[in-house]
Amino acid sequence: MYRLRKHMNTVLFALVLIVLLAITITPIYWMVNTSLKTPREVINPVPTLTPQSPTLNNYRTVFESGLWKNFSNSVVVAISATFASIILAFLASYALVRYRFPLRMNKLFLVWVLVVRILPPIVLAVPLFTVFNQIGLINTLPGLIVAFQIYTLPYSIWLIYGFLKSLPAEFEEAATIDGASPIRILFSIVAPLVRSGIIATSIFSLILAWNEFLFALLFVRSPKLLTLPVVISRYIGEYTTQWGELMAIGLFASLPILLFSNVVYKKQTEGFSMSLK
Amino acid sequence: MKQSQRAAYNSFFYLIFAPALLLILFLTIYPISSIVYDSFFRYDFISNTREFIGLQNYSRIIGEELFQRSFTNTLIFTFVASTLEVILGVFFAFMLQRKFRGKRISSLIIIFPMIISTMVICAVWQTFFHYEIGLFNFILGKLGLSPVGWLTDQHVALFSVILVDIWQWTPFAFLIIQAGMSSIPSDIFEAAQIDGANRRQISFRITLPILSSQILLVLMLRTIDTFRLFDKVYALTGGGPANATQTLSTFIYREGFSFFNFGRASSASVLTLFVVAFLALFYVRSLLKEDN
Repeated sequence: MYRLRKHMNTVLFALVLIVLLAITITPIYWMVNTSLKTPREVINPVPTLTPQSPTLNNYRTVFESGLWKNFSNSVVVAISATFASIILAFLASYALVRYRFPLRMNKLFLVWVLVVRILPPIVLAVPLFTVFNQIGLINTLPGLIVAFQIYTLPYSIWLIYGFLKSLPAEFEEAATIDGASPIRILFSIVAPLVRSGIIATSIFSLILAWNEFLFALLFVRSPKLLTLPVVISRYIGEYTTQWGELMAIGLFASLPILLFSNVVYKKQTEGFSMSLK
Repeated sequence: MKQSQRAAYNSFFYLIFAPALLLILFLTIYPISSIVYDSFFRYDFISNTREFIGLQNYSRIIGEELFQRSFTNTLIFTFVASTLEVILGVFFAFMLQRKFRGKRISSLIIIFPMIISTMVICAVWQTFFHYEIGLFNFILGKLGLSPVGWLTDQHVALFSVILVDIWQWTPFAFLIIQAGMSSIPSDIFEAAQIDGANRRQISFRITLPILSSQILLVLMLRTIDTFRLFDKVYALTGGGPANATQTLSTFIYREGFSFFNFGRASSASVLTLFVVAFLALFYVRSLLKEDN
């Protein structure tokens, strides 16, 4: 009787696991499947589970239409935005951990950073559009890099602050006695100690910036400067059933990010519980 | 000498703190004060005309059916999507609690949806939802059911958007809760078993209460994210059909960037900020409670 129940439990467990995996995989499989179909097969009212005459034409078409340019825009913006955020966040968090600013600035700043994370970004879009327009940042990649700091900087500050706070001050004190300059201590003693935290934060920030849509849509207009998510949204709007090409772009835009999934899985939970402590 | 050293030490910290502080102020404090100011004006960006009209923007917007609709849609989306994501996340975390072969690879696959770009996800779901050649209506047809206007039926569209959000973000809830579970020391369970507790009792009386702070955290993070809903609506329905999926964010977008009516967009933004302030008051306090 007990054995039977145990057996039933295992079956139930396997069933839940299979259903969960199937639900997760199906859309991703469908993307691959559709990207290999001919335009004719895509609009067939009877969807086919595998491409009947597999073709790489969709990939060829999208690359010939200049997708590399958009890909490189996405890469440049994501990497620069992340780099800027990590440097700024590292410096600021270190100051917040080791120094008490007057007027309860430390706490005020951290609370404000949290509030920024709660704010819907569209609220900031209208006034920022006006300023960026005045200082010539509209329709430029540097403009996007600055705008993306709205997402990546608060996020990086909270994570890196958490990592730095758990670091004992002894190493730094020893180095100070040995006569090392503060800048040197910061980059050759503190930074290596929180290296893995900084790498994890960079990856989260890269993903955020890579997938960002709102400011990329609002602040850039010329086709040559668009990032991948905006290219995809234009495809959805304009060529309603060019799904083969659309899926080819989608897959291409997802691959670099999926390579990080292992790190995301390992660090995700660590990062979030860190922001609690 | 001593004093000058001290001054150098202090200024070092001011120097490294300043860039992040200034950037955040520039990106948030300035825009927020400027929307508060602009919200009292009739301000057209294209003709660059401003006219002070007091609270008229507010009184008009609040009275408009479209704004009210956007507001309720946002609340419905936020509430339904985040609650279901957390419930499903908890459910799956409990179901997959045990150790098994392939746990790591399964977990890797399960987190795919949350790292793929929302735009890519919307593109795929578009092909599922399509009325004539979509996968869903094909399956319904095979089952002998009539097709559903997933994105074209006023009563269904918002729930289709919710469905996509659930697919994308339940893995996140699952991951965090699973991690919380694995950090519970196993002797607690052993002690309960010795005391004669059955599996259900252990789940409901022990595991769930221990996980409550984790569950609250996920719920908070999901409400923050669902409240700003914009991308999915933009890509899936464009706010339609008949404005059935407009949200606060798409309302502000329409006023600001389709009509360039910056005064109205600003007052809608300020109204949104009031709701956010409400959320923030509660969230910041509970997040910082742990900090002290």
